[in-house]
Amino acid sequence: MDKKNKIKISILLGIMCFFLTAGIAIQINTVKKSTITVGKTLAENELRDSVFRWKQKYENAYKTLEANEKELDSLREEIANTDQSHSSLTTQLEQYNLLLGNYELRGKGVEITLKDGDSSILKGYASDFIVHDADLYEVVNALKNAGAEAISINDQRIVTNTAITCVGNTVLINNEKVGAPFVIKAIGLPAKLYGSLTIPYGYLKLLEDDGVDVKITQVEKETIVIPKYNGIYKFNFATIHE
Amino acid sequence: MKAKITITISIACTALILTMIMFTQFKTVDETDITALETMRETELRTELASWKEKYEDVESKIEETNAKIDEYKKELDNDANTAELLQNEIKEAESYLGYNSLQGQGVIITLKNTELRDIDYSDILALVNELNAAGAEAISINDERVISITDIITVKYISILVNTKRIQAPYIIKAIGDKKYLESALNIKGGYIDLKKSEEKSVECVVDDNIIIPAYEDKR
Repeated sequence: MDKKNKIKISILLGIMCFFLTAGIAIQINTVKKSTITVGKTLAENELRDSVFRWKQKYENAYKTLEANEKELDSLREEIANTDQSHSSLTTQLEQYNLLLGNYELRGKGVEITLKDGDSSILKGYASDFIVHDADLYEVVNALKNAGAEAISINDQRIVTNTAITCVGNTVLINNEKVGAPFVIKAIGLPAKLYGSLTIPYGYLKLLEDDGVDVKITQVEKETIVIPKYNGIYKFNFATIHE
Repeated sequence: MKAKITITISIACTALILTMIMFTQFKTVDETDITALETMRETELRTELASWKEKYEDVESKIEETNAKIDEYKKELDNDANTAELLQNEIKEAESYLGYNSLQGQGVIITLKNTELRDIDYSDILALVNELNAAGAEAISINDERVISITDIITVKYISILVNTKRIQAPYIIKAIGDKKYLESALNIKGGYIDLKKSEEKSVECVVDDNIIIPAYEDKR
């Protein structure tokens, strides 16, 4: 009798323990799921909404600005046509806008693709074969040295005050997010750009040695399209020093 | 007696398993620290919102500017002298952005010096220019060489540094016009440019100035 009772108790205890464990396991799962749903709380959704609204507002305003600039261009053309003495001024202005990156350009040159190395094959520091912000502006600098006339990375035009920065895992160019793979396009003499960038101990070679996936191709036909700068030139602090 | 031992062992086993599971659960809850995750997302969203707002405002002010220009051109379409002046103004504005005019304004002056341990490398200057641009610099010069869209900063055999294909010598003085407080704090931020260079045993100094003069680019294209 005493023995039977003990067995009953132990079985009961066993079952209780089993349920407890099951309960805990279920709880673990719910905690995992709930963090995701909790993350999308009302306040965040509202924020997401307003980010979206402001982005749309910006895009609409940008379209208006583009229309205005087109109108200005046609007005200047009209002025140039009515008076010969003005045409030299309008040509100069057009040339300046070209240098400022305010027009989309087409030409021959090189195309470079940078991709993070495959971490499952490569050994060593992961940081070595990841493409960093510094790698991008070093390549841009090398392209300028080789005489590139216009450069873009993932359709972001490189201008005088372009910054290439890193926030967490995302790269920002002209304050806009760009992701890997990074496609760098440059207009200039293809052979000169290619030759200058592929020299031994050049920056691209260093990247390749570190394990970054580097591709560079010469484009002999005028098929490279570099978009216009989508930012705004504005001085808040600088004035002309006479 | 035998039964007693089996019971104790089985209870001990289940207790052990239970404690282990509980500990792992505590750990996971700790790791997925819900509040940290949420605030991080929120701050990220807030910075994104701020950046779109700023961009929108910039475009809006540019729209007003272009509207004013359009009106002026239309008004003066028949007046040759005035249209010429309007064009001249636009050209002058474009020249400023291209770096063809000397500019003045508030900003920061950074001095990079070689130390006994380490020399300043071209990439130190290149990284600094990028940092300054990220902090909203409007004009930058390196030892009075204006930085423009085609400026390259290179080294020749690690002996001398060339900017705009002109040789420059240490100490390297980099001037930047922009919001002086913002520029200074961007460089002095913990783990920022100055911290990094000091950890590399390089000499870097940053001072703010209310009247910085940056020369024009010399060889116009």
